[in-house]
Amino acid sequence: MEREEALQMDKPSEKNITKMQKYAEKFAEKSGSYLHPDRSVTETVVEGLARHIEEVGVPLCPCNFYPDKPAEAKLRRWRCACDEMQMYKYCHCLLFVNKEGIPITEHLPEDHEGRQIYGLVKDPHADKGRAMRHKIGATEEAAHD
Amino acid sequence: MGAPFTVTAGNFDAEVLQADAPVLVDFWAPWCGPCRIIAPAVEELATEYDGKLKVGKLNVDDHPAIAQNYGITGIPALLFFKDGKRVDTVVGAVSKNVLQEHVDGVVRDA
Repeated sequence: MEREEALQMDKPSEKNITKMQKYAEKFAEKSGSYLHPDRSVTETVVEGLARHIEEVGVPLCPCNFYPDKPAEAKLRRWRCACDEMQMYKYCHCLLFVNKEGIPITEHLPEDHEGRQIYGLVKDPHADKGRAMRHKIGATEEAAHD
Repeated sequence: MGAPFTVTAGNFDAEVLQADAPVLVDFWAPWCGPCRIIAPAVEELATEYDGKLKVGKLNVDDHPAIAQNYGITGIPALLFFKDGKRVDTVVGAVSKNVLQEHVDGVVRDA
């Protein structure tokens, strides 16, 4: 009951829920991925994104812990669709997945935790999505600086 | 018996770090899809390993200091503690079988 109580207590507005639901549907289509077959998973994540809009002004991924949410909100990396989704088409929050509800891991580096958790999961529509793929090298270089 | 207990900043030391048995703590948040998916497996393991493993759930929104202290980033993060120390970590919506392998490893070495 703990989760249900929390959800009721801080439920975001229908306006923001609808906004993020529509965004998720459009981005799934655009990126060649699917929303999770268990609708309750999608609803949970969409409400989390909507809640972050109301809390910090942007749809931060609700599947991370942020020591400083306002500071994180100023960055691009975990705003939905996050950098990982835009570069690798990997959504650890399970919002954008394949038809079976598994995150796409094909484009991830082999040592990424997504590969360790889910193994190699093929991209069903490799011709779509990954608008920031050109930044993969730059991000890795920056991480090593 | 065997249901996961709620871990808080107030009971973390006594119920986790000073526990006699190994402890699995599920770091979760209410709006996390994979946290929702893995929750039934965590609850089942709490029942199946009752007496061998304590299982708790910590809401990172309610107790951020503990999450920060253990370097939590992605959730769900499942941390195993033994004798006051973290001995294993699993991140993400892994299957029950995978989670159980980690549980067996921690319980076996207890």
